[in-house]
Amino acid sequence: MLASIFTKSLRDRWVGEVVGAASIALLLVFTMAIYADIDTSFYYELPAAVLDAVGINPDLGGLSGIAYGSIYNLMGALVVAGIAISIGASSVAGEERDGTLGVLLGNPRSRTDVLAAKVGAMVLLTVLGTAVLWAGGELAPVVLGVDASGVRVGALAVHLGANAVFWGMVATAIGAWTGNRTAASGGAAAAMVGSYLAATLLPLFPAAAGVAQVAPWYWFSGSTPEANGIHVGHLALLVGGAVVLGVVAWVGVNRRDLRDQQGRVTFLDRLRTHPLTQRYADRVAGSTRVSSITAKATSDQQGLLVIVAGILFMLSLYYGPIYNLLPPAFTEALAGFPDTLMAMIGQADMSTAAGWLQAELFSLTIPIGMVTVLASVGAKSLAGEEAARTMEVLLANPVARRHVLLAKAGALVVYAVVLGVATFVGVTIGVLVGGLGVPVANLAAATALGTLLGLGLGAVAFVVGAATGRSRPAIVAATGVAVLSYFAWSFLPLSPSLAGWANLSPFDWYLGGDPLAASMPWGDAALLVGLTVVLVAVAIPLFERRDLRG
Amino acid sequence: MTTTPDTPAIHTRGLTKHYDEVEALVDLDLEVRRGEVFGFLGPNGAGKTTTIRTLLDLIRPTSGTATILGLDTHADAVEIRRHIGYLPSDLSLYPTLTGRDTITYFANLRGGVEWSHVEELATRFGADLDRKVGELSSGNRQKVGLIQAFMNRPGLIIMDEPSNGLDPLVQQEFQDLMRETAATGAAVFLSSHTLSEVQRAADRVGIIRDGHLVDVEGVHDLRSKAIRRIELVFDAPVGGDEFAAVDGVRDVEVRDRSVLLNFDGHMEELLAAATGHHHLVDITSEEADLEEIFLAYYRDADRPDGAPGGARPDDARRGVGA
Repeated sequence: MLASIFTKSLRDRWVGEVVGAASIALLLVFTMAIYADIDTSFYYELPAAVLDAVGINPDLGGLSGIAYGSIYNLMGALVVAGIAISIGASSVAGEERDGTLGVLLGNPRSRTDVLAAKVGAMVLLTVLGTAVLWAGGELAPVVLGVDASGVRVGALAVHLGANAVFWGMVATAIGAWTGNRTAASGGAAAAMVGSYLAATLLPLFPAAAGVAQVAPWYWFSGSTPEANGIHVGHLALLVGGAVVLGVVAWVGVNRRDLRDQQGRVTFLDRLRTHPLTQRYADRVAGSTRVSSITAKATSDQQGLLVIVAGILFMLSLYYGPIYNLLPPAFTEALAGFPDTLMAMIGQADMSTAAGWLQAELFSLTIPIGMVTVLASVGAKSLAGEEAARTMEVLLANPVARRHVLLAKAGALVVYAVVLGVATFVGVTIGVLVGGLGVPVANLAAATALGTLLGLGLGAVAFVVGAATGRSRPAIVAATGVAVLSYFAWSFLPLSPSLAGWANLSPFDWYLGGDPLAASMPWGDAALLVGLTVVLVAVAIPLFERRDLRG
Repeated sequence: MTTTPDTPAIHTRGLTKHYDEVEALVDLDLEVRRGEVFGFLGPNGAGKTTTIRTLLDLIRPTSGTATILGLDTHADAVEIRRHIGYLPSDLSLYPTLTGRDTITYFANLRGGVEWSHVEELATRFGADLDRKVGELSSGNRQKVGLIQAFMNRPGLIIMDEPSNGLDPLVQQEFQDLMRETAATGAAVFLSSHTLSEVQRAADRVGIIRDGHLVDVEGVHDLRSKAIRRIELVFDAPVGGDEFAAVDGVRDVEVRDRSVLLNFDGHMEELLAAATGHHHLVDITSEEADLEEIFLAYYRDADRPDGAPGGARPDDARRGVGA
């Protein structure tokens, strides 16, 4: 597989592509299986805006409309296009960032050869992912014995693949012109999301409906290919656009100076060089940032923290007011959901505002946001410095390993607190604006417990990283514990004989005491705090006794 | 501290490190005195970095003990680091920090350093402290590493391949700094695979190969037995036999009017042979590389149970080895 740049690019990426597409196909099967037994007509009473936003297609109707709509039309399209963007952004700019493009071009290959090989690999991988989705989409109804006649999975897959290639080429072109991988993936992702929003929301306003037609996402989903088959004009626009972007990339990569391996220039760096803001930015970015190990560790992953805290804030804010927009049929239908489905969305009574918040926000969204940041931070606390080989020079200073460990654990707490505060402020404003009547004290209790849960899961990553010096197993362990404890808490109670075991799940300590409706369960809070303290205490001897990697 | 000026800067006894089946370091007995530059010389993979990482308590010995400035390397690790400077090989720093931020960070962890000294070091090395470390070339990054190693006026500086990427002018400045540091009574432990670097800076040299300390000797002794690759050019073709007969000559090769040979004897004997019956037109002499010296002098010295190597010219003078 190392015969050429093309095959090496395939080798590096095919697993991710197949896993991504297969997960979406599996999700389709699950969704179909769950919805097969229930009356889904309440979905179609949701406002058109909500249906559009989640990709559900009223034209198809019934089970197929929900399953193919929400899973393929939205999630599948975003995943396959997201992977294409990631590959496209890495194709030129990624090799520049890693400093490997120079040595690659030391071989008898032109820049055009490299670009063509990378683009070819991106297209082939996208075709592969699309084929997996197509096969999954054809197989799912057969396996489940569901009637999906009238759904044109092939047409949907073709549109979806062309759409993904288009966005992958946007990232390639930006990367080819700038050599900046972050700009390439960020720019393309932002353009894609903007395009998706334009394509789904603008048609709601008659005056702006025409504008939606120039959004590339509209060329993918605007003609509802799953119902109407391939729209040749739209497909031609997507493919033609991709070709034009390819030419743009070709011009870009050939005309500019290539960059060597470079440090990132952040927004704060720009403020530090501007005479007006220099003094203040210097305090934040410079002297304060390096004042201690905790301060430095707190600033190391500020990008991730700001993004996730922002998302948590927005979502927490959003779910309050949206509760009032739900049609009565929606909550009534939820009451008739099977137990398994209720377990999946967090066992909440959705007929109350507190239950709605728990099901939509607290049971999954908040823990996912917390784990995303805290498992990553926890894993990289010690193992990250070892992998970057900076631990050696850090420990050349008169600080004990224990001191480094505790300072890093302190930073983990700071990350958790920032996420908790962002969530609390968002959900409080949302609840007050929406007039949901959930007491602020309960919101505080639930957010605090969610923060402590995230901290405990971050501590799992922290202890594995401390013991092994490797961040990948640390992240896997924390994610595994999170998923297991979620399922233990949500599904074990369905079986009377196993229900008692759910009490051992940290998720049960988080939501089992019903903090949104009842009062603060202090015992559960103590258990979550104890979990973190014990894990950090266990990490100390594990980290102190072993050979450090270098 | 239990330290007196006579306490060795580094003292190891039977220091051994195994990784699974691999013996990275075997029974290392080493003493580095204060006020000297000690060169630690060996080819890649000989165990130099393992020794240093063990001394710094980054990894733990399988057996044996070590002290730095009279303090135990494990029990007193933090106290030791107050008094030493360290420059790892193939230095990694935080790419998003500037050089100044990096130095500030480490200075804070040390409870402060003399900034005037930092500025002085930066000027000497010509280091740009305002750029991000990630944007620096390896040589310029190495300057930041050197500054942080010297900035606290340590009693012992441990450096692993410190000259990597430094240009000749900065290398000269660095050599001077090492000498000045040793003159103040501090010790410098300089690990390197480059014979010339060690020869220029060090007072004594320890030679390590395959995890065994093969020899410790004064740098002048090492230089005197350094093999030279010599090319003699004559005005007419000559035979090789008469040169092969000179003491210390080996690997003679005749190419038309020139003779190539490896030589570790007395130069005047070779010159006498070359100028006696022929017209010598040109002579070039260059240092053989380290591996050739190892092969010539220490071929079997690293075998703990093996007989002393026959290739070694003067076993009697060597205290360590078999």
